[in-house]
Amino acid sequence: MLEVKDLKKKFGRKQVLKGVSFTAKKGEITCLIGINGVGKTTILNAIMRLTAINGGQILLNGESITKKSYEKITFIPDAITVMPHMKISEAMQFMDDFYDCWNEKRATELLDFFKLNANDRVSSLSKGNTAKVNLLLGLAMDVDYVLMDEPFSGIDMFSREKIAEVFTTHLIEDRGVIITTHEISDIEHLIDHVVLLDNGRVLKEFATEEVREQEGKSVVDVMREVYQA
Amino acid sequence: MKINVNKRDPVYVQVMRYFKEQIATGQLAPGEEIASRREIANQLKINPNTAQRAYKEMEELGLIFTEGNMPSRITMDETILTDVRKELVLEAVTEFIHSIQSIDVSLEEAVELVKENYNRKRAD
Repeated sequence: MLEVKDLKKKFGRKQVLKGVSFTAKKGEITCLIGINGVGKTTILNAIMRLTAINGGQILLNGESITKKSYEKITFIPDAITVMPHMKISEAMQFMDDFYDCWNEKRATELLDFFKLNANDRVSSLSKGNTAKVNLLLGLAMDVDYVLMDEPFSGIDMFSREKIAEVFTTHLIEDRGVIITTHEISDIEHLIDHVVLLDNGRVLKEFATEEVREQEGKSVVDVMREVYQA
Repeated sequence: MKINVNKRDPVYVQVMRYFKEQIATGQLAPGEEIASRREIANQLKINPNTAQRAYKEMEELGLIFTEGNMPSRITMDETILTDVRKELVLEAVTEFIHSIQSIDVSLEEAVELVKENYNRKRAD
């Protein structure tokens, strides 16, 4: 279980996160939702210690996160970080050289799943295929938690569908996923857990199947209630 | 094989309904092996957790059973199988009654129209 407790973050004088708490379980897909600028990416960066925090705690299985914890968590940023002149195969080799948790077999499966050609250069790819390579490089790691920052943003419908399809396969099964997005309608039936953020706070946290079962509401219905109240 | 997911009903309930329809129409026979949880998640394009939940509920209701490490199978219990069909028929009829009552159609008129259109619709 990955717990974010009372997370606070300031940029200059601006308090971006005012005490954010939520929990993401292994084997579940947790979705952080909020309009742009609400601090979703900052939360992921804070979990990965890519940014210093001004208060709060991040716990992995009840214990404070240490250097070692990062062997169990991977972060897929919203833009690809490998060198654009690399071929996909070279990027994969690069990851293999650098990470013990790189899983060659799963990487090959992902290549096949996304119908990518290992000989293509990253710079020659469409936006959709670049996003798929980015996901491949993150998902091929043998980790317990995967953080994905806006994996659906700015790409075509068919690529979005293919990326959403990952959530229906064994490529993601048993892992905890935290995903940030504002494009919820494509994936609302695939996610387990939702955290609605606004103005640096959590407005509501809920289990999707529970809300459907007990209130007959879709995720979008709940979002309308919460954000337009 | 696909289900059109409705966003306001629990997805696991919709998966169970999909299986009930397959059973009621004979597309899944008594005792027939069904896809694994992982396969069904992929085929129906749903989250594997949801598939797991649906199978667990179906197991509890006696719709499917699993022996050891074998694939799950459709029940052979006649009572349960008959009830599945009854449940689906009753659900459809209730919905139909609801629709015609809301536009003030009498039973006689509805029956007449059903008779008139039933075979035509089936031929479409």
